[in-house]
Amino acid sequence: MVTLTELKKDTRALLCNSCAKCSTACPLDGFAGFSPVRMVSVGPTADEVREQAVAAQRCLTCSLCEIRCPQGVHIAEFARGLRREATDGLREPCPHGQVFQAAAVPEWAGRVPSRDLSWIDEDLRVAETGEIALFVGCLPLFDALFEDRFGVRTTDIARSAIRALNQLGIEPVVVAEERCCGHDLLWGGDDDGFATLARANADSFAARGVELILTTCAECCRTWRLDYPEAVPEYQPRVQHLVEYLDERLQADELAFRDDDTARTVTYQDPCRLGRHLGVTDAPRRLLDAAPGVELAEMDRSGADAVCCGTAGFIHCDAASRRLQAERLASASDTGATTLLTACPKCLIHFACAQNEDGRRNRPSPAIEVEDLTIFTTRMLAGLEASSPGTNGERTEAVT
Amino acid sequence: MIGGDVRLDGGAAPHLLLTVPELQADPISVEAVAPAPCTMACPAGVNVKAYVSLIAEGRFAEALDEVRRRCTLPSVCGRICHAPCEPACTRSVVDGPLAIRALKRFVADVGDDDRVVAPVAVSKDQAVAVIGSGPAGLTAAHDLRRAGYQVTIFEAKPELGGMLRYGIADYRLPPDVLDAEIAAVLGVGIDVETGHELSSYEDVTALMEGGYDAVLVAVGAQRGRLLAIPGEDDSAAIEDALGFLRRVNEGDRTSVEGKVIVIGGGSTAIEAARTALRLGARPVEILYRRSRDEMPAGHEEVVQAEAEGVTFRFLAAPQRAVIRDGRLTGIECLEMELGEPDGDGRRRPVPIPDSTFFAESDRVLAAVGQEAVLDFVPNDDAAMVDRGLLAADEGTSMTRWWGVFAAGDVVSGPATVIEAIAAGHEAADSIAAYLETGTPRLPRSLHAPAVEYGLADPPPVESPPVPAPVLGLEPGDEFAEVEQAYTADQAVAEAGRCLRCGPCSECAACAVTCDRRHLLVGLAPDGATRPRTWLPLRTTAAVAGRLRANGSAAGGVASASGDTTDAAVEVRPVVVDYVEERCRGCSLCLDVCQFEALALRNPDDPESRVVLDPAACRGCALCAAVCPTAALRPAAHADGWWDAVLAAIFEPDTGDEAGPAVVVTCDTRPHAGSPAEGDVVACRCVGQVHPGMLLELARRGATRITVETCADCRFEDGARLAQQHVEETSALLAALGGDATSVTLVPAARPGAPDQAGAVSDALAMALRGEGG
Ligand SMILES: Cc1cc2nc3c(=O)[nH]c(=O)nc-3n(C[C@H](O)[C@H](O)[C@H](O)COP(=O)(O)OP(=O)(O)OC[C@H]3O[C@@H](n4cnc5c(N)ncnc54)[C@H](O)[C@@H]3O)c2cc1C
Ligand code: SF4
Ligand code: SF4
Ligand code: SF4
Ligand code: SF4
Repeated sequence: MVTLTELKKDTRALLCNSCAKCSTACPLDGFAGFSPVRMVSVGPTADEVREQAVAAQRCLTCSLCEIRCPQGVHIAEFARGLRREATDGLREPCPHGQVFQAAAVPEWAGRVPSRDLSWIDEDLRVAETGEIALFVGCLPLFDALFEDRFGVRTTDIARSAIRALNQLGIEPVVVAEERCCGHDLLWGGDDDGFATLARANADSFAARGVELILTTCAECCRTWRLDYPEAVPEYQPRVQHLVEYLDERLQADELAFRDDDTARTVTYQDPCRLGRHLGVTDAPRRLLDAAPGVELAEMDRSGADAVCCGTAGFIHCDAASRRLQAERLASASDTGATTLLTACPKCLIHFACAQNEDGRRNRPSPAIEVEDLTIFTTRMLAGLEASSPGTNGERTEAVT
Repeated sequence: MIGGDVRLDGGAAPHLLLTVPELQADPISVEAVAPAPCTMACPAGVNVKAYVSLIAEGRFAEALDEVRRRCTLPSVCGRICHAPCEPACTRSVVDGPLAIRALKRFVADVGDDDRVVAPVAVSKDQAVAVIGSGPAGLTAAHDLRRAGYQVTIFEAKPELGGMLRYGIADYRLPPDVLDAEIAAVLGVGIDVETGHELSSYEDVTALMEGGYDAVLVAVGAQRGRLLAIPGEDDSAAIEDALGFLRRVNEGDRTSVEGKVIVIGGGSTAIEAARTALRLGARPVEILYRRSRDEMPAGHEEVVQAEAEGVTFRFLAAPQRAVIRDGRLTGIECLEMELGEPDGDGRRRPVPIPDSTFFAESDRVLAAVGQEAVLDFVPNDDAAMVDRGLLAADEGTSMTRWWGVFAAGDVVSGPATVIEAIAAGHEAADSIAAYLETGTPRLPRSLHAPAVEYGLADPPPVESPPVPAPVLGLEPGDEFAEVEQAYTADQAVAEAGRCLRCGPCSECAACAVTCDRRHLLVGLAPDGATRPRTWLPLRTTAAVAGRLRANGSAAGGVASASGDTTDAAVEVRPVVVDYVEERCRGCSLCLDVCQFEALALRNPDDPESRVVLDPAACRGCALCAAVCPTAALRPAAHADGWWDAVLAAIFEPDTGDEAGPAVVVTCDTRPHAGSPAEGDVVACRCVGQVHPGMLLELARRGATRITVETCADCRFEDGARLAQQHVEETSALLAALGGDATSVTLVPAARPGAPDQAGAVSDALAMALRGEGG
């Protein structure tokens, strides 16, 4: 058990001088009484700790506050630490009936599940063993719930990724006994559950000889790159978001875009985990810069300053999430772009949910299409037919 | 019945459903162990009904033991407690409340003359310093010492007791009574340092560094406020009543000459007036800015003061002290009238323009409020001092200063003895938890589990209140105790008036008004505070059996003998649990609710959230299954229902390799005879069981999950949602590499129970209304 004092030391919260700069930066500040500065300066009574442990579950852990904090307090980490204290019915219920938490829990009654990989189309080439692997993550689970509800098919992202890699002559390893990366368990305060998952995944990938792990999800990427080395120190593969990898290949002239003169204006949502947590803001922009006919119009706040999509993981969702989604979509549409790109399937789902909701409530909705950057990029790669299955990014019909 | 049919060898569901007829057709009778209004009204949770009943049976020593369980100073409280239990007494509406305080005094006086308090052994190696020896400090010291800690009381004054000794006068609380009471408290082995004032920050830190592991600050509110009117500082004839009383209580009996005006309406004002009267002042008048009804002083005090000759002038407020030739001649006042109620609900006095009048007086005593003296708080720390009082966490009694706790008037402001005692208990519990675990205690109920006394059924008595004897003011013996004790016969007669109330009066009104047909019944956890909706249940074998089966681990029920149970149960209608803060306004729920229980708060506002009409909701929780944010949740789930279901199915591990099969079914269907084999999860509607729950069952190893749908769903949409959930779960299982075919949907083959409950409660309602034939 980590004590509050240790947590405060570990996250530099002991240095907090209550300047409240975090609170001014926090997109949630004041919503339902949440205040980062109150959270960070919690103490000393058990009541206060409990109160803030409950409040901490609202935190987006987006880290917008951290780039303002003069003392360098790891505020999001602090929130994560506090959540561990929220036990005994104090834990806020997770959205979507906890379904992703149930799916993530490592103990499947002792059985090692072998995932259904039938979503990998015939013409895509994957390998059993090898140096480069694609970590698929929860994409097939998302389809089970969200494809019908608001017409996002996130396995298309994985299909695109494999297609792009095949184009580079790589047959990525896809592991059937892959588990959830554990991001939501970790950020929900379940350290033990996370460690078990991390070990199981690391074992499977190590056994296949994998040395480079590619993800299409910002959260998986952060988790593998920053949190796995702590949980499983003996296995330290390179971890990259596919966008980073494609960018590297592009710089090395191993990758080219097809000639295309249709002019398009797009904008880009930096996922918190990729942008602020991992500092990856240039790679996606270099890719877009190189793509033919594509003009990147930046939103008011972008890069390290980009505002969160409203929900990190499937940990908490409420009216504040909705408000952030609405504001972010409006901001994207204000740039004049027709497409909002993101490099995280969760951002994609959250924006799609907000748009779908606008439709149901007959609310005016900003006219902008939301698409995943991997799909968008792959579709324009030289040598790939625009109509290849899984790369067209078209939405299946929404059934509501 | 929710959860009631789950295999029961393992865990326990904290709630089950009983129908209204089940509750009403079986007699629900009142038991002696249930908290009555008097008990609920007592700040310290003294079990009034129990000790009053014991007095009625002549069992005086047991009665006093029962009082002592929560009241450290029975003789003191028997004399001067403001007795909030009395206005709460049900008998008020018949022929006047029981004289509860007088009964307590009676047992305190006669209960156990021969009691010897033996020192308690020190069993812990930690020590606690208690600063202040008023009722709060004495109570906490007593509790902690009995728990085995070393305790030292530090008291500034030469003698112990706080306001009991230096505020309250002898004619209400004789010093020998107080001495005996305090001696009994100290008898458990408390160290005392009198004449030791802690007056600086360093004094307190020295304690903490000098071997005390926790400090309790119980210093009361010692500084009397003055009137803040012009001229008051120019004459020694104007002083604060507290200072005056303190002098008299220290033995200064200098006579008071001439006319005295006391300003204020609380105990201190009355005390000062009656004391001045006893020292020779004539006339003595109390000036109060509101009316008689708003006076905070106890009713009896006011009546007794009036009988002794104190006069009252209401709706008047002092404006200016008039001093001539250095001598006070009187005060100029304004007449007031009562305006709107203010924050605490009392009507605020408003001056009437041009109503100035002059009140002649030789001496003025101000009893208009008290403040704490907090010289030991570092640098006027604003977070520690709130409006002249010490701020302490409500739940843990801890101040911002780690390891330093506070209780009594110093936290609450001038209050009462029994509230100080209650605060002392709370603080002691918290300090013990802190010393034990490093974390102060979180709020817990004051109502300790009741003791069963095996009392006879109360006789239906019809009798007027028995007045306690009161002595008049005798010249030469002015400070003799005024109120006298009951004789044993009087006490038994007065106690015999008790109705032995429990919260339920068997009115059956719930059966008349409830059109939901079902009530959710939960077992009160041991020692929980029982709000009035918690019924003590004595019922037939059928219901008791179900409660027992469900509650074996939840406390109390298993001890039921034969066809009764001594559990307290909570009865409430089944309504979905809704937390508006979590709603994002997606409106998905609106489509599934068949009872128009949900609506957008304001349909024209795009930001609007949903509101729930609990009166229309029938608790099907279909909305909860579609709500993405968990703003809506099945009522039973909020109380850990689902965890209990999971525990019952999967723990203990039966060692069965295959894992259990689970049947999810509607609670209107008898599950015997189901074609599907397995552990039955009976729920209000199968449509509420969403993919998260089904996946959890699969993940824990359920080999087969069968969801049975009703063709005639009483909530209409249940079957459709159940189908959707089963399909989604299959897809999730496939993606995860589980067995996608393990979750199936089947139509329930057996007929559902007819809505018998509805029919019976309709009939009952008609009978109660005197309709039908
Ligand atoms: C005149 C009068 C009449 C009242 N009548 C009633 C009544 O009829 N019924 C009723 O219920 N309540 C009555 N009360 C209120 C009741 O007496 C108080 O609410 C109660 O005593 C508060 O208890 P306490 O332990 O918090 O503080 P106190 O009783 O005030 O005790 C505090 C103790 O701490 C000591 N102390 C203070 N500072 C220090 C220091 N720095 N170092 C060491 N020791 C210190 C004080 O000397 C005192 O002994 C009356 C009060 C007064 C003044
Ligand atoms: S991490 Fe994000 S949500 Fe949390 S306090 Fe910082 S800015 Fe606010
Ligand atoms: S009648 Fe008896 S049980 Fe009922 S409130 Fe009065 S004292 Fe308490
Ligand atoms: S529980 Fe059923 S009746 Fe109540 S609001 Fe939800 S859908 Fe409507
Ligand atoms: S389904 Fe939940 S989030 Fe959506 S409107 Fe209803 S209560 Fe709100």
